[in-house]
Amino acid sequence: MEATPESVSTFLDQYCIQCHGGEKVKGKVDFTTVSVETASKEHFDFWELAAEVVDYEDMPPEDEKQPTAEERAAFQQWYEANYIHVAASPGVFQPRRLSTPEYRNTMRALFGFDLENKVAKSEQTAIEPSLILKLMPTDPPGESGFINDTHAAPLSTVLWDQYAYFSEVALHQLFSPQGHKALKSMLGEELPGKFKHSDFTQKHARQLIEHFAPIANRRPVDQKDINEILTQLEPLSGVKLVDALKFEMKTILMSPGFLYRGMRMKRTPGQQQPVDSYELAERLSYFLWEDMPDQELRQCAADGSLKDPETLSAQVERMLASPKARSLSDSFATQWLVLDEIDDAYSDPYLLDSFKNQPLDFLNYLFTEKRPVIELIDSDVTFASHVTASIYPKDKNKLEKYVKPKGIEKQVVPNQKLALENTEGRGGLLTMPAVLAMNRGPILRGTWTLRKVLGEHLGEPPADVPPIQSTIGDKKLSFREKFEHHRANASCARCHDKIDPLGFAFEGYNDKGAYLLSSNKSPLPKGMQSKDKTPAKIDTSGQLTTGESFQNFEELKALLLTTRREDIVRNAVEQTLSYALCRKLESHDGPAVESITTTLLESDGTWQDLFTGVANSLPFRETIFSSDSES
Amino acid sequence: MKRNWSINRRTFLRGAAGAMMPLPFLNLMEASADTGVKNLAGETTPPLRFMSLFKPNGVHPPSWNINGGTENDFRMSPLMAPFSQHQDDLLILDNMGDYGFSSHTNSTRRFLGGHHGNTEQASMDQLIADHIGSETAHRSLELTTEGLFTGQIGCSYISYGPDGAPLPRESDPQLIFDRLFRSPLDIPSKRTEMTSLLDRVRDDANSLMRKAGSEDKDTLDEYLSVVRETEKRIEVMNKGGKSSPIKFEDIERPPLATNLDEQVETMIDLIALAMWTDSTRCASYMLGNSNSRMIFDFLDIHEQHHYLSHFFRNFSRENIDSLLKISLWHMEKFDYLLTKMKSYKDHNGSLLDHSVVLFGSGMGHSDNHTAQRVPTILAGQGGGMLKTGRYLRYSENQELSDLHLGLMQGFGLPIDSFANSSAPLPGLDGSAFNEYRERPFDSWIKLSSGKVTVQGRLVMSENLDEAKTFYIEVADKEPVRMDVQFRDFHDFNLAYHVGTPITLTGDRSEKDGQLQITKISDLKSVFGKSQPGKKNG
Repeated sequence: MEATPESVSTFLDQYCIQCHGGEKVKGKVDFTTVSVETASKEHFDFWELAAEVVDYEDMPPEDEKQPTAEERAAFQQWYEANYIHVAASPGVFQPRRLSTPEYRNTMRALFGFDLENKVAKSEQTAIEPSLILKLMPTDPPGESGFINDTHAAPLSTVLWDQYAYFSEVALHQLFSPQGHKALKSMLGEELPGKFKHSDFTQKHARQLIEHFAPIANRRPVDQKDINEILTQLEPLSGVKLVDALKFEMKTILMSPGFLYRGMRMKRTPGQQQPVDSYELAERLSYFLWEDMPDQELRQCAADGSLKDPETLSAQVERMLASPKARSLSDSFATQWLVLDEIDDAYSDPYLLDSFKNQPLDFLNYLFTEKRPVIELIDSDVTFASHVTASIYPKDKNKLEKYVKPKGIEKQVVPNQKLALENTEGRGGLLTMPAVLAMNRGPILRGTWTLRKVLGEHLGEPPADVPPIQSTIGDKKLSFREKFEHHRANASCARCHDKIDPLGFAFEGYNDKGAYLLSSNKSPLPKGMQSKDKTPAKIDTSGQLTTGESFQNFEELKALLLTTRREDIVRNAVEQTLSYALCRKLESHDGPAVESITTTLLESDGTWQDLFTGVANSLPFRETIFSSDSES
Repeated sequence: MKRNWSINRRTFLRGAAGAMMPLPFLNLMEASADTGVKNLAGETTPPLRFMSLFKPNGVHPPSWNINGGTENDFRMSPLMAPFSQHQDDLLILDNMGDYGFSSHTNSTRRFLGGHHGNTEQASMDQLIADHIGSETAHRSLELTTEGLFTGQIGCSYISYGPDGAPLPRESDPQLIFDRLFRSPLDIPSKRTEMTSLLDRVRDDANSLMRKAGSEDKDTLDEYLSVVRETEKRIEVMNKGGKSSPIKFEDIERPPLATNLDEQVETMIDLIALAMWTDSTRCASYMLGNSNSRMIFDFLDIHEQHHYLSHFFRNFSRENIDSLLKISLWHMEKFDYLLTKMKSYKDHNGSLLDHSVVLFGSGMGHSDNHTAQRVPTILAGQGGGMLKTGRYLRYSENQELSDLHLGLMQGFGLPIDSFANSSAPLPGLDGSAFNEYRERPFDSWIKLSSGKVTVQGRLVMSENLDEAKTFYIEVADKEPVRMDVQFRDFHDFNLAYHVGTPITLTGDRSEKDGQLQITKISDLKSVFGKSQPGKKNG
């Protein structure tokens, strides 16, 4: 059956519109807001969800009139023709403002020192050490869910004043005695120990501007522009020269070329084209480091070698080995997996510190040590400190012993890498205590696993959710029974059939993430106790909507590693690509996702393979400029 | 009992930061005459300022307390030595606080809140700021030295807003300086600079605009509109900006502090400067969280302050020395503040003459958290509000909220109750107060089998090697020595009774022919409460 816009419209009228756009708009899904005729690319995710629920026979609800198998297939075919089998395309170029963490790191790289909120450090006190992070408003996540997607967070006068202030502070420090080392390295020459402003010469000014302007702009600056700046400085010397230099540098720091990315890219209007090598360097650097390119990357951009895929891959490898790649766990993965929610999971600050860092240390290990993507789900490596080691009773003795220094009551110590050989119920991200504790209860755990790990697009819950009953007649229902009852309602079942089995599989872990089914009864660390069920009453069994059943989380994990492996890897690719591009993925990114996913699945690919794949992908390497530019 | 006091004073020589600030201001001194407020009669009188300085982790009472002496005839204690030169400007209060024991959190709230249960009202510094803060650029400053103590958040705040919620505090001196004196658009020369900068970046954005496609035109439009708005803001400020007699541009920005000492001295410099330039009239400053775990490595101390402050339980002579070094450092900072405030000429006197400074801590004994004899000192004349140069030892324990009420009334607040108090503390302005007086009492020793009952004055050993040793002084006899365990020390609250006559029964033994008590079974106060401070606070 051939799908035409007319037949699709008829299909929608017959099966969908009654609840989604006629008199009712359930779950915020409204077919009157989209057009079958235009099949606009903007509505990619709307149709993706629609196609998914129709294909899985989640919709229409069981108690409504059902389409035939052919009708479902025709709708799917129309969706795929318009949104899946589309030509790969890099997407239209969009400039964007540096996100706050990118700005902080860029300023640090440019000046060679951090702008600090300088306060005496002491144990167990919270302080934001970065002046920039302290004073800047938090960037809201863009449509992609990532804060580097700043398209929705425009420049404002508040931000302008802050940028002006940070520029002022950085320049003040650069020309103060404390900035001596940084200044020396910018000038590229030995300075006398007591170098004063009055010693500043025209030669110094030239060196400084020629060094500073291209690095700040992340690309070469026309000699004409450099000369223009130098002309302003020409008649001056000493203290006056320094003041004028500060002004010129501040102007650079406040200009669009510094504050935005991509603004000065070389462009041919109306064409899809590879981005120039400086843009490529910048993309790579903000992707892997959340920071501006370093000298080696700038060199690869200058000599054009970065455009060679092998050089690009070698740079990925080099950059992942740098401590700056920690931003992949601390920013990318934290935002993807909403790991900041861990902050509220434990009241004891030492337990919190170790458990919060555990997934970050683990992800950093996966990302930077060539670990397979699927080890996200299962790994025999974890990270722990003496504070948290007791949840690994049979492995903890491998940790280096902590000896408390004299006179220190408590102390935060970093986690150590720990090989899990004899520990039950752990291994992989999903059973890390903090991840379980930030998602309390089976419903949150199930939803998080489905959305964040399996990449499933759940719609919004319908507005007319019936209340969850706690009794039937005289019978008091258990939590599990309440949701079994809840799933009897078709519109609830659409999501809860998927959420609940996943969530209840985690019932062996309490609200703080402690494992209750362990054969080893060693005491839990303080702060992990919770109102726990007796192990005998815990039911972790369930069945996936695809038919496979399991008795406990270990069996579910085995299913995730096999039958759901592809979903997990594809989701990881989508998240990574979206973060790298700083935007929501569109249908034309589909081919890139599929190609990277396929390669990873064939080779049990690593995270490094994934990052390399993204860096070499079409949307990362190319862009489209619209044709309405004047020149 | 010879006092064994051997802290090396040279350790506390002032760092380089101390000398950093004043020079650039000398030329500004003249201008300060213009910052006064006019009273209703049209006369210019100097504004009154209020400043509070909080010391973390209580004190080591035997080193802090003044024992003996009278209102006008007293000797300052060893811990007070660093600021003894200011005796004439001080009003030292004794017997402040009336609780059994206090948590760190409660004692922090009480410092300016009057009572730990006063959780839905602003602290007194904020009420004063409401009253005197409206004419200055900054209503008040809430400052501290270290980060938030996340385990017990209440340990980090002395200042509370109208609903009793903690007020955010700042701790970086450079940031405070910039807020006070470098608000970019407030400074005319900076406005001029920004105007030229806007011209330049607009040209740049426009040239990019010519090359841009539709996709980046929106972004550049957004950029240019911020440029235009900023220009407009500058125009408005150029027209309406009030001119200060003090050119803030001339004030040098303090360098980055390289250690705690520099950080704190710089902050104190800034507080004095902010008050003197009439940028604010009210500031609160914590020298640390009330249970501070800071490490004073610049004093060559490597144990956490809180650990050391539990000097009874964690006793060693080295620990006591370290604790006292830290406390002396705190006292030096108080001295530094007063010296600074005196160095600024303010109308016909000094800045300190027209200020009230409240200095103190949360608890009287840092190990068992006794909350009586809480260290409390006022400094400055407050334009005549305080009669200084005196030591007021009240006969009974006084609620801190009485002091707070008295001060607020002194600042002219129409207020007749605060926290637990409905009567201001008497005596601050020289008015009559109930002074602690020695009363005659009998002292004796009665022996029974294995036990002894002694009546006499309880004192703590002044030998720093004997932190766990107390004596009961009996007329015409050798004092009875007690070496007590923490449990007895705490259960009978010996720290509370120190200095007063008690009747004590305990197990006895003899050592070197001297009578000794090892275990206390009963303790009664001869005149006061035997079970002091009914409530824990």
